[in-house]
Amino acid sequence: MAAAPIVVIRDLTKIYRQGDIDVTALAGVSLDITPGEFVVLMGPSGSGKSTLLHILAGIDRPTGGSVKVQGIEVANLNESQLADWRNQNVGFVFQSFNLIPVLTAAENVELPLLLTALSRSERRRQVETALSLVGLADRGHHRTDQMSGGQQQRVAIARALVTDPALIVADEPTGNLDAKSASDVLHILQSLSRSAGKTVIMVTHDPKAAGYGTRELHLEKGELVENVSKA
Amino acid sequence: MSTNSPSPFRLLALPFRWLWVGLWRLLWLGNPLTWIEWGTRLWVRWFGLSQHSFVIVNAVRNQRRATLTVLSVAVSCGLLVTVMTLQRELTIPPESESASLRLIARNKVSLAQPLPAKQMPLIEKVPGVVAVSPFTYFGGNFREETITSFAQFAVDPVRFRDLIVEGKVAEGDYEDFIRDRTACFVGKDTMDRYQLKVGDRMKFTGTFYPVDLDLKIAAVYTGTVDDRNVFFHHKLLDELTGDLGTVGTWYVRVASADVANDVIARIDQAFENSSAEVRTETERAFQMSFMSMLGNVKVLTMSISAVVVFTLVLVTISTMSMAIRERFRELAVLKAIGFQRRELFGFILAESFGLAALGAFLGIGGAWLFWGHINLQKLTGGFLIYFEVTPRIMATGGIVAALLGMLAAIGPSISVARTSVVEGLKTLD
Repeated sequence: MAAAPIVVIRDLTKIYRQGDIDVTALAGVSLDITPGEFVVLMGPSGSGKSTLLHILAGIDRPTGGSVKVQGIEVANLNESQLADWRNQNVGFVFQSFNLIPVLTAAENVELPLLLTALSRSERRRQVETALSLVGLADRGHHRTDQMSGGQQQRVAIARALVTDPALIVADEPTGNLDAKSASDVLHILQSLSRSAGKTVIMVTHDPKAAGYGTRELHLEKGELVENVSKA
Repeated sequence: MSTNSPSPFRLLALPFRWLWVGLWRLLWLGNPLTWIEWGTRLWVRWFGLSQHSFVIVNAVRNQRRATLTVLSVAVSCGLLVTVMTLQRELTIPPESESASLRLIARNKVSLAQPLPAKQMPLIEKVPGVVAVSPFTYFGGNFREETITSFAQFAVDPVRFRDLIVEGKVAEGDYEDFIRDRTACFVGKDTMDRYQLKVGDRMKFTGTFYPVDLDLKIAAVYTGTVDDRNVFFHHKLLDELTGDLGTVGTWYVRVASADVANDVIARIDQAFENSSAEVRTETERAFQMSFMSMLGNVKVLTMSISAVVVFTLVLVTISTMSMAIRERFRELAVLKAIGFQRRELFGFILAESFGLAALGAFLGIGGAWLFWGHINLQKLTGGFLIYFEVTPRIMATGGIVAALLGMLAAIGPSISVARTSVVEGLKTLD
């Protein structure tokens, strides 16, 4: 029996207002994502892939339709509930890493845990585990601005993992990396999906990167035009 | 010639370069923010990251800007405290317990109009009056001075003893003052300032009266709120001016503060409808009337304070706005990973408040230390005597800085709250 979907999206629309013009970013997208999938969102610039990622991660709100993650209608949560929900259920990986440069790698990873009720020793243990998973156990005390791009992105993945979220969203995580570092990062995301059962949703332009996913979704002009499962 | 040998100019510049680097290092090490940052980093290393340590690390991340902000707040707070202290000095003359029992009766028409000497027995009879002495301002210039900062008063030496009861005098000296009609009784501050000793002579050129004084110092007093004045025999002034029947004002001591108002009313009534009506007031009120001659000091100092505070507000708001603006993206990331608006507001407020508080501590503490250790009386030729930075003034400065810190946090906080995560992530670093 197939597992119940972790993400259920129905007739999702997003319309931006730019001056006097309405721009449709998403035009009735519907899809299901099952737990442990590594979904790759592809499409040309302005196709709506990042908008879709932002809405299902709870950092943007839809104009219409429904987005349910683990049975929770994300759009119905207020600002405060949404912040808590993101902290517990979503891990973010951005193209430009978005780490706090004045903090060490371990401190950056620890940041989301400051919002939890964990004790200091529990926090430290989780930070060490997350850094080990990305192969940076020995670099915890290094400032992130003294690390290479690949290492910084691995720290960002550790930060996304540390709260043990069900969903990891990655917005072009290899866009600023060289081929070797990009491959390392993609392998980590793949193993998180395969071994740890995390649902990874990644936006990319790179067909090579897309090869690591279990499913490819192609968007054009806000519509889902292709849904290719590789499994 | 070898191209590798350093040019003589570079060699000459080397010591200056070392000096500059050394100076810079010293400034860096002497900066309290450096120590705060190191301390916080050590704390985080041992005890883990917390929201508090995160705020501190962020506040000092751009050390040059943080230092300049703290310095600007410190200088402004120091200036504010100085202006408030000046206002206090000019508008609230020093007051002692004994001074609260003293009254001054002057001619109702004007201070410049004399009073008849024959009024004294009538004043003495007023119930509640303990002592009365003529008290006439001579207003002479000492030695070659064109402006003398201490006053000279002609008094009745015997009666005057009962008026400055708080003044401490060496045993027997006051009697010497009483005995010698050309003697004077001098405050210790004036003795010290001019390096005088008992037996020296003090010569004054009259400015109000067309006569000069040549007085011998017989006694020195200390322990009053103003140990600068010189007192001499009224009889000497009478003889020199040839006017035996007038005095400048009456100096009166009452039995207790409770009867002061009653005594004031009775003295004024006693000379009502006479050719020399009097106006009696407390010594403090009398001094205040002199201060009012300087103009509206309060409005002037308040205006300066307002300008200082306004400048302070602009500087702090601008700095905080810049600091937050360049971290917009990071704040958006914090929002994305679950930090609430109120927590981000707390971060900004704590950072702004912390920098303002540090600046206030340095500025107010610095002003307190500076004015407490400088002989302002000597520097200003006696114009400013005490210039005391009181706890009340320091608290006012602290409150202004605290409000300022909060005010500076409001704008950036609203801006952060209004910006969505997606918009924040789009901002450039």
